[in-house]
Amino acid sequence: MATTVLAPGSTRTYRRSALYEWLTTTDHKKIGILYLTNSFLFFLLAGSLALVIRTNLALPELRLVDATTYNQLFTMHGTTMIFLVLMPFLAGLGNYAVPLQVGAADMAFPRINALSFWMLPLGGVLLFSGYFFGGVAADGWTSYSPLAEAKYSGSGTDLWIVALLLIGTSSILSSINFLATIFKLRAPGMTLLRMPVFVWTVMVTSLLIMLATPVFTAGVFMLYIDRNFGGAFFDPASGGNPLLWQNLFWFFGHPEVYILILPAMGVISEVIPVFSRKPIFGYRAFIFATLLIGGLGFSVWAHHMFTTGSVYLPFFSLMTSLIGVPTGIKFFNWIATMWRGKLTFATPMLFAVGFLSTFLVGGLDGAILASPPVDFALHDTYWVVAHLHFVFFGGTMMGVFAAIYYWFPKMFGARLHEGLGKIHFVLMLVGAWVTFFPMHLLGLEGMPRRIADYSPAAGWNDLNTIETIGSFIIAASVLPFMWNVFVTLRGPRDAGDDPWDGYTLEWATTSPPPPYNFDHLPPIRSERPLFDLKYGHGARRAIAAESATVEGTHS
Amino acid sequence: MTGRTEALPAPLHGARQGIDTALVGMLLFIASEIMFFAGLFGAYFSIRAEHTVWPPAGFKLDLALAAVLTAILVTSSFTMQYAVSRIRKGDRTGMIRAMTVTIILGVIFLAGQLYDYSSLGFGVSSGVYGTLFYTMTGFHGAHVLGGVIGMSIVLLRGVNGQFSARHHTAVEAVSIYWHFVDVVWLGLFSTLFLLR
Amino acid sequence: MRYDAAPTGSSKCARGLPLSLQWSPRVRSLVSGAALAGLALLLGGCSALYPPQAATSQGADIRTLYSIFMVPMIVIFVLVEGLIVWSVFRYRRRSGDNELPVQTHGNNYLEITWTVLPTILVLVLFFISWQTLNKVEAQPANPDVIVDVTGFQWQWTFAYPQYDLSYTGIADQGPVLVLPADEVVHVRLHSADVIHSFYVPDFLFKEDVIPGQVNNFDLNLKDAGVTYSGQCAQLCGMGHSQMRFTVQTMTPANFQAWVQAEQAKARATPAPAASGQAAGPTLQLSASNTTSFDESTLTAVAGQPFTVQLTNKTAGAPHDFSIKDSTGKVLFTGLPLAQPGQTVSYSVPALPAGTYTFFCSVHPNMTGTLTVK
Repeated sequence: MATTVLAPGSTRTYRRSALYEWLTTTDHKKIGILYLTNSFLFFLLAGSLALVIRTNLALPELRLVDATTYNQLFTMHGTTMIFLVLMPFLAGLGNYAVPLQVGAADMAFPRINALSFWMLPLGGVLLFSGYFFGGVAADGWTSYSPLAEAKYSGSGTDLWIVALLLIGTSSILSSINFLATIFKLRAPGMTLLRMPVFVWTVMVTSLLIMLATPVFTAGVFMLYIDRNFGGAFFDPASGGNPLLWQNLFWFFGHPEVYILILPAMGVISEVIPVFSRKPIFGYRAFIFATLLIGGLGFSVWAHHMFTTGSVYLPFFSLMTSLIGVPTGIKFFNWIATMWRGKLTFATPMLFAVGFLSTFLVGGLDGAILASPPVDFALHDTYWVVAHLHFVFFGGTMMGVFAAIYYWFPKMFGARLHEGLGKIHFVLMLVGAWVTFFPMHLLGLEGMPRRIADYSPAAGWNDLNTIETIGSFIIAASVLPFMWNVFVTLRGPRDAGDDPWDGYTLEWATTSPPPPYNFDHLPPIRSERPLFDLKYGHGARRAIAAESATVEGTHS
Repeated sequence: MTGRTEALPAPLHGARQGIDTALVGMLLFIASEIMFFAGLFGAYFSIRAEHTVWPPAGFKLDLALAAVLTAILVTSSFTMQYAVSRIRKGDRTGMIRAMTVTIILGVIFLAGQLYDYSSLGFGVSSGVYGTLFYTMTGFHGAHVLGGVIGMSIVLLRGVNGQFSARHHTAVEAVSIYWHFVDVVWLGLFSTLFLLR
Repeated sequence: MRYDAAPTGSSKCARGLPLSLQWSPRVRSLVSGAALAGLALLLGGCSALYPPQAATSQGADIRTLYSIFMVPMIVIFVLVEGLIVWSVFRYRRRSGDNELPVQTHGNNYLEITWTVLPTILVLVLFFISWQTLNKVEAQPANPDVIVDVTGFQWQWTFAYPQYDLSYTGIADQGPVLVLPADEVVHVRLHSADVIHSFYVPDFLFKEDVIPGQVNNFDLNLKDAGVTYSGQCAQLCGMGHSQMRFTVQTMTPANFQAWVQAEQAKARATPAPAASGQAAGPTLQLSASNTTSFDESTLTAVAGQPFTVQLTNKTAGAPHDFSIKDSTGKVLFTGLPLAQPGQTVSYSVPALPAGTYTFFCSVHPNMTGTLTVK
């Protein structure tokens, strides 16, 4: 285990309160931790909403809450999970790791970075403030018009719009920051094709955010104008078109789902090689696949609209079918990385393997939806709910937890306990499959989504009850994680620089790193600069030289 | 430190600075703004494609006024670029003068736009054409206002003695932004007034 | 610098396989292969993974397509999960093994293979899907029966323009759509307000009901004498979960007989009481939206019939005036429905003193208190 020796006098600290420090920081590492904390809190909130939803559906006609409240529940659950949980989780991981992985001292625009973060809790407060002001949004996170128009919905939708304008702006600013950092602040020697795969995924994700989110911004402004200024964008009676909303929304909405998965795939691409003790298999293929997903992702949006009767089905079906190929490339490359490796299963690797086995299902059940006739049967049913939860929960969230367990020692100098981590993983994996797999069956049987209750005659009781039990298993899984963080942060900070025998630059400095990140950088001649330093030609020479002179200074 | 601002020292051997990071940020920001307007233009064209009569009966635009505003905005791009070329040569005074003219032209554009709004016979709630027209030109006007404010801040900094031939990133940045605003207007003018 | 090659704290995971599982590689691959094949058969044959048998010929085409898709999906699932599980067990680091494995960076032939083959697969599936789409969407020139479906918050109206018949649903059940089997039924979808979706799971089909456009599709029902349930599949507000309907099929002959009988019934029903003929005192009631009546309380005299004059001020929804008692038993259902802009008078028979709830049977959430004393 290596310990970096910092230059003397470099650890002078100012005397000011920790609270002030956290509130005013522009340090990407602290901002990253702020993003993660904010996301986790909203994760608990949105997860609680999901528990109410699942409890309500456990038995037919339970009617624990009235229909409007139920509509609000899934609207807020979806909106919060996507915009206040998943996106910021990934932004937080990117914030923490990208400057370190490219060998930079901070992000390109640190103050804008801080602004980007603080817009999130503000947006979240606005979004939920409707509970105090006459109701929150209840039109689904997709907020289709005319249902979202002033005539058919309440003031909660206006709060939803303003909150999303804030959160969207936060995303766009943060994506500009990532791109400028990646383009301009890479350490000498780090060409684009020597960047870690995680940085590539953050780069492509940032491009997607930058190009897709503004279209959504335009759309929600239009909705606001319709609702509050007598506009007619989506009103057929005045010459507008309700489908214009859907096209604008999904033009953003589809790249959005790749925004939500690519960085998680990047994390998996960091974890699997380290815990297989091999390089990533097919680094360039990964880059190619990531770019392809990003590009193709702009051409498939109308597959969310196959049943509207207003879409040129063959084109969108073709593009949607093709986009499965690059994801397949990634899967084969991940497996090839593990193949003939020497695998160890610390918690990050458990979550990575959990990601692989769960996201696979989400990918396959989505591929079936690429066929319009099949989509006619399965659209707007629980099949889609299964698909989106397999990819977002079984995919993105598993990637997020893999990253948290992987980078926690770098952030705080202590590794999360393995025993609690394993319990967390098992409960989450089992909970995910028990909750979301039966939804495929319900969708096939004809249960539509977004319904507050269902008829006992439909025969959907048993599967719904099973799913509700699963959702409480998921809820339970969060507890060992929270306890783990609490206990670990109170324990010794003895992880050292490089607890996992990693490859990339973040492991070449202290845990946590100093404010300026690096005292000195190893030479960068490949995508695994630290591996090269430890095991490459230079390392063997250094080991030989060292053992020939004074004994080493550490174990 | 020595007060010399004219000759730029030779860069270190082999070192490539490339474009300033702040300018990269401005270009990326403009890319995102282009997509914002793309959403608005997309709405315009898709709604237009569904109507046989477009603009719908009763909607008349003032082409002459819009042409004058176009000329004003295009001129202001030239004066802005002149300001940039002046400060690249170290001529802060020339830059200040040219930027002042640019700002004045921008304000005249905004005033003209407001006058246009007041004299048009329809509003944002007059059916989808009105909604589209006011939304598109309104957001553009907001961007012009943002540019005027940005340029004013840069002008103030210039008046206070900042900027030299070597360090004038902010001037370059607002200039790029201003050209973007101009190009968007050319798109709006062509689409709303010429193509219809 | 020297680095300890083994990551710390994970020694528990790194102890190799227990002796009982240390079979020879050949035996292990045979066993795994058999397990995977068994799993594939199990999954492929599991009927729960398939939609129900379709009630229409279009639905049958869709089900066939689904079955074709499921084959590669299950094979890929079993293969990839198998590879993952295999790698996890086979390539565990044995404890004490600190050597780096061979640092393979990649293999271009493999990359090309697993790019080209999946591309071919998805293109083949796409073309098959396109063929099915054309079959499902085919609409011959002369359908036998035309149905106009109107969706509104939160009920359905089924109209037969050829026969001048129209049915609007009531409360939770919704209307019944009677259709002939073995004939071409052409359905046109209209929305009076927001987007809805006409969905019958047994047809393996849904299509959106969108204001400002008329979507349409054909149905070729296969079996007579069956009842199918359907419901709205696009979130449309508070009553979305209750927006249900049923479809009832008949032989073409029975369907014609049914049409004749329904037309006769429509002719025989007397026209609703003209607004002028009021019995007893008249109470005024109006509705401007689908959430509540404009008046929340009405008062009537016990033991005396009275009239309720309902003015419908909403744009896209019909209403009526109905009464239920405190146990929820419906005592009076006002017919006909008051269409948008209409005023209809309902003659209510005498009621004993007490407190009742009046409601709209199309929108049961619209309620008020009727005090009779």
